Amino acid sequence: MRIRTLLREPLLHFVLIGIALFGAYRWLAPADSGGRRIVITQGVVGDLVTQHVAARGREPSATELNHLIESYVREEILYREGVSLGLERDDLVVKRRVRQKIEMIAEEDASTRAPTDADLAAYLTANLARFIQPAILTFDQVFIGESSSGPGVVDVVAVTRDALRKGGDPEELGKPTLLPHRMTRMPADLVARDFGVSFAAALEKVPVGEWVGPIDSSFGAHYVRVSDRTPAVAPQLAAVRDHVVREWENDRRRRARNDAYTRMRGEYQVSIETTPATEGR
Amino acid sequence: MPKKRFIVIGTVLVAAACGGPPSTPAPQAPAAVQLGGPSTGAGTTTADTGEIKPADPAMFNKTPGYSPYAGRNYPERPYFGDEHVHTAWSVDAGGSGTTLGPEEATRFARGEEVVSSSGQPVKLGQPLDWVAITDHSDMMGMITEIKGGSPEMMADSTLKRWRDMFNGNPVEAKKAVMELVAAQANKKLPAIASDPRFAKSVWAKTTTIAEKYNEPGRFTAFIGYEWTSNAGGGDNLHRNIIYRDNKDKADRVLPYTTFQSENPEDLWKWMTEWEKTTGGKILAIPHNGNLSNGRMFALTTFSGDPLTKAWADARQRWEPLFEAIQMKGQSESHPSLSPTDDFAAYELWDRGNLTQTPKKPGMIAAEYAREALKNGLKVEQDLGTNPFKFGMAGGTDTHNGLVAAEEDNFFAKFPSAEPRPDRWDEDAMNFGPNRIVKGWEMTAAGYTAVWATGNTRAELWDAMMRRETYATSGPRMTVRFFGGYDFTQADATRSPAVAGYAKGVPMGADLPAAPAGKAPTFLVAALKDRFGGNLDRIQIIKGWLGKDGKPQEKIYDVVWGDKDRRKIVNGKLTQVGNTVDVATASFANTIGDPELVAVWKDPDFDPSARGVYYARVLEIPTPRWTAYDAAYFKTKITDPKVPMTTQERAFTSPIWYSPK
Repeated sequence: MRIRTLLREPLLHFVLIGIALFGAYRWLAPADSGGRRIVITQGVVGDLVTQHVAARGREPSATELNHLIESYVREEILYREGVSLGLERDDLVVKRRVRQKIEMIAEEDASTRAPTDADLAAYLTANLARFIQPAILTFDQVFIGESSSGPGVVDVVAVTRDALRKGGDPEELGKPTLLPHRMTRMPADLVARDFGVSFAAALEKVPVGEWVGPIDSSFGAHYVRVSDRTPAVAPQLAAVRDHVVREWENDRRRRARNDAYTRMRGEYQVSIETTPATEGR
Repeated sequence: MPKKRFIVIGTVLVAAACGGPPSTPAPQAPAAVQLGGPSTGAGTTTADTGEIKPADPAMFNKTPGYSPYAGRNYPERPYFGDEHVHTAWSVDAGGSGTTLGPEEATRFARGEEVVSSSGQPVKLGQPLDWVAITDHSDMMGMITEIKGGSPEMMADSTLKRWRDMFNGNPVEAKKAVMELVAAQANKKLPAIASDPRFAKSVWAKTTTIAEKYNEPGRFTAFIGYEWTSNAGGGDNLHRNIIYRDNKDKADRVLPYTTFQSENPEDLWKWMTEWEKTTGGKILAIPHNGNLSNGRMFALTTFSGDPLTKAWADARQRWEPLFEAIQMKGQSESHPSLSPTDDFAAYELWDRGNLTQTPKKPGMIAAEYAREALKNGLKVEQDLGTNPFKFGMAGGTDTHNGLVAAEEDNFFAKFPSAEPRPDRWDEDAMNFGPNRIVKGWEMTAAGYTAVWATGNTRAELWDAMMRRETYATSGPRMTVRFFGGYDFTQADATRSPAVAGYAKGVPMGADLPAAPAGKAPTFLVAALKDRFGGNLDRIQIIKGWLGKDGKPQEKIYDVVWGDKDRRKIVNGKLTQVGNTVDVATASFANTIGDPELVAVWKDPDFDPSARGVYYARVLEIPTPRWTAYDAAYFKTKITDPKVPMTTQERAFTSPIWYSPK
């Protein structure tokens, strides 16, 4: 092989670059970052003292400080020896912790810029359904019972209806219940949380100011009077800005984490070996 | 000894560098102080500084005007939440494979679908009203506390100077804070402080997330953390710290860790200091007395000394609630302490402590809430303060970020225990021979219901402080419990709250002095979870101090479902029955009642004896999570020890009686 050919050989480049990097590393690397030299800087000592003070409420004595430094050195040496044996590599807990750190860094790197109004407006338009402002309901309810039909209940319905029309106190009518008798300016989705989805949906449609019913909830049948209702509306950015910012930032955070991974993943070649045994399954 | 404040510079910078979310543009307090130095002697707690007096019943009375609702300001509905949630940011959770952080956990609690750490899509059956993410304070600073004060950071002369000032006298420290605030405002922080590798106070990030998701009126995200004291190698003395305030106050002081102290008395001192430093309010909720090997409610101090009045004052002051049920079992009652209680043998984890170090005889007596409530009466008689004057809370203690405590939606505590065919038969904990907890012993529980006037941090927290709460094993039962001297059957026929607040005090409060010749009456009511089982019965559990000074207890069945076919025979209420079909994990609501209400008068009242009363509500039998697992995975669970049905329940905070 001619020397010129040899100089074009990629493997040689690789080896040379490797040697250069190794040399540079030995020369540049801080003396205490993995070799066999451990420097206890004043920063480290200060830190040990601070920790001791936080834990014990006083400065360590000279003996204690020596002990703290010795523990630090012991931990450092054992850690380095362990790492040199590759013990961190198959440790699931170490792996997860390191993974978590790098994911956090990826998220943090992306979180420096605040969203602009244009970002938020675009996000809102693209996700309008998530930001619909629910109807706001104020209503009274009288509990008729677990069922609106069946023997006896029809009478209760009639008696209650009559009493309500004559101006009876709704709280003194119907069956006793722990359910709230009145809800004031409550978003429809929170009404649904307490009474069920179909009940809340019905309250968005009934005439305002009249006793109507029976309307079924998750608990049974009710007479209901909606006294005030603001219909559901498509949101303006100003009204839901905090919410949009939160969702926008959460999306960016997730994307940043995934993008960082995708980028790294692109630099790896991953092959999955299949053995005849697994193929046969 | 002068008071000292200690500052971890790394975190200080981080708090400054992180700032607040765009929605909270107000400048954040940048200095995260680490409190927890020695006792200063100052600031010793007193019994009543944080005690909220039972409301004057008159303030709840209906005004005689036209509107039946005017003048009414009592809590109208309970708010359900979880005060005990770990996420990937807890070292033990992250290390065991949890990938969901506080943001995902909070979104899940609000009702959003997420993908669990084991890759399974999951959503709550019913969203919660509030949550407190309580990651362990130990090692919380994952990155920052490791790097904090590191040589790299100290290479910057400004940082070095600041840290020296923080470690100097309080005047110097304050000056450093001021300089730091100015530097932040003028964007003159040393570059290293905004290096993303350092700009990560996990605490500041945690509080930022709580702030973002806290929506007054809709959903409350409390700021909180867990102080995880495992004294003596696994005696569970853990406490969740719940903040009433917002990020601005919370960021000023770092959470207390057990590196500083494992002694709850030091935690209370830290809490005292915290309130003094910030002007805010915090409370602590201990949990898992059942795993404390005789220490949670011991009648001695942490170091084994006799209790003192100051100790009792501090405990009552800082710990208004106790978490009586969670995924590691219930700590309400134990059959060996309450042999006549047919329902005490429920979700018991009673063989060891957190590391399953076996119990010795006598330990159980200092582990369960009911026994502590009774013993508290004795301590009060002896010392003048009841240290165990607590209300009831429930939490999940989930470590996978999922507050999924529903029987049919149980995602358990760790990623490895998320739904899988064999999870019931595997070891949930294994610390060696005879120190094993099996997977099937995990409990799908629990939540805290809070009777607050509205869904905000301040209103919920205030209700916790006055103990107007109850614990549930998971279902969203509505439970009212009032005590007074004038409740009559007529009060049991209308909305109980109107009469309840007008004529008595709610759960968590004290009965006023007994009028001559009158015995306490209680108005109690419960409404089933709208998706859950009907109600079997409501019981009132009474503890009192006998003439001999010994605590006693008695359980009264006060109202029950299917009244026409059930009665009390030989002092015991006949069973409600069982409609569970284990094979299909289903049940029929054809037994029990959806709603129960009653007025009960103590038939054995002795006005000279201290007493404590609380209500327990039992559902009819329904399938346990093990039955849902077996039906879904088609596994055969043949071990007769494995319960396949459960009786979900709620325990209310007590109402206390003290003789004049």
